[in-house]
Amino acid sequence: MNNKRQQARLTGETASPAPHAFLNFWTHVAALIVLGISAMAHNSQHTVTIRQMHFDPSQIRAEAGDVIEWKNEDIFSHSVTANNGSFDSGLIPPGSSWQTTIGKPDTIAYHCRPHPNMKAEVIVQVPGEHGHHTHADAQGEKESLRWSPPNSPDELHPILVNFTAALLPLALLSDIFGRILRRQALHSAALCMVTYEAIITPLTAAAGWWWKIREGQQLHGELITVHQWLGTVAAVLFIVLALWRWQLHRCAASPSWAYFAFAFISLIALIYQGSLGGAMVFGH
Amino acid sequence: MIAVAGSLLIAGIANAQTPSDPEIVGIVQTADQIDISHAKLALKKSSNPQVKDFANQMISDHTNLEKSVGDLTKKLGVSPAESDTSKQLKQRAEQETKKLNTLKGKDFDREYASHEIAYHQAVLDVAGKTLIPNAKNAELKSALEGAAPLLQGHLQHAQQLQQSLGGR
Repeated sequence: MNNKRQQARLTGETASPAPHAFLNFWTHVAALIVLGISAMAHNSQHTVTIRQMHFDPSQIRAEAGDVIEWKNEDIFSHSVTANNGSFDSGLIPPGSSWQTTIGKPDTIAYHCRPHPNMKAEVIVQVPGEHGHHTHADAQGEKESLRWSPPNSPDELHPILVNFTAALLPLALLSDIFGRILRRQALHSAALCMVTYEAIITPLTAAAGWWWKIREGQQLHGELITVHQWLGTVAAVLFIVLALWRWQLHRCAASPSWAYFAFAFISLIALIYQGSLGGAMVFGH
Repeated sequence: MIAVAGSLLIAGIANAQTPSDPEIVGIVQTADQIDISHAKLALKKSSNPQVKDFANQMISDHTNLEKSVGDLTKKLGVSPAESDTSKQLKQRAEQETKKLNTLKGKDFDREYASHEIAYHQAVLDVAGKTLIPNAKNAELKSALEGAAPLLQGHLQHAQQLQQSLGGR
């Protein structure tokens, strides 16, 4: 799963050449949504070894919700005591271990109470935030670079989201510029894009539902519920929009203000849908 | 007070200009035993929980250190030897024990904390300046180097204890 998370991250990082700001923005939002949900669903375990009066490693990066275990391989008893009081292991005898689940993002300096010269820190990051790459991250990324066809909903959904997020704003812009510049080719492009949008979005929603059914217990309760239903409504809205656009095309009419208003409302819904993903990733 | 106690201890150990490996082991074991015996006295006489915690930690750590040194000497086939330094350490420890026995309550706690600071500082200095440079066996040298962070930890812990007791 860690590989999949890193795959999601790579998707976000390599999406920068997208031709349009909206595409670029939505590609990142989609990647972040997946990345955040994957991180929340699969917390990692880290190990710090205490030996020869040192915490090894002396600095560890974890994500909120991860479990960190301290193994005392020294010949002395030690404690793992947070300077801010957020955790305290008590004395860990030689050969024993102690673990805790890390809470909110923060940098937590800790020490050993009986040996205050033993100091280390835990950097707790927002799930999915990987500003600093470890060797393990680099290895994971190398593995993620190897192409393999997407075969699970947590791989398919983010891929399809990219198309959903990009096509609607581009279709709307294409129609707007077609009207301003009086260029039929731009209207034709808009028609095609709205059609593709109407075909792809139900698939995106289906992949999302599949994912939710499979891992629902582990996903972010209220947010994911709103996200899944708004996504379903959006799929219907986009089908309606496409049918309307085809009707206009048959009548050889330019998109009306009512159509633009409907498309704009759909776009707002799509943006809100993206903001829910951001809330799931960043927790605000 | 600390400086005076520390300098006396250093003066005592400094006579061992070029101790042999068996003498070094003897000095380390004596130093361990002295700290354990003072900690046991603190457990008996003090009612301050922080002092008791510190004393328990000294007993635990120095007992483990003593065992570790014992295992190493067995492995290396080195028998601890008494030296002028170890004798002087014992003499000064007896003097300190007598002094501690005359004190009670906060006075005892402060003297104990103050002595622990001086003692660990002195042992650290001597380990760095005399014992480690003169250790001929590489494993013994490495073990002494490995013990330095423990002594530094005890020193800082003792300083924190002194602060909490309202000492200087």
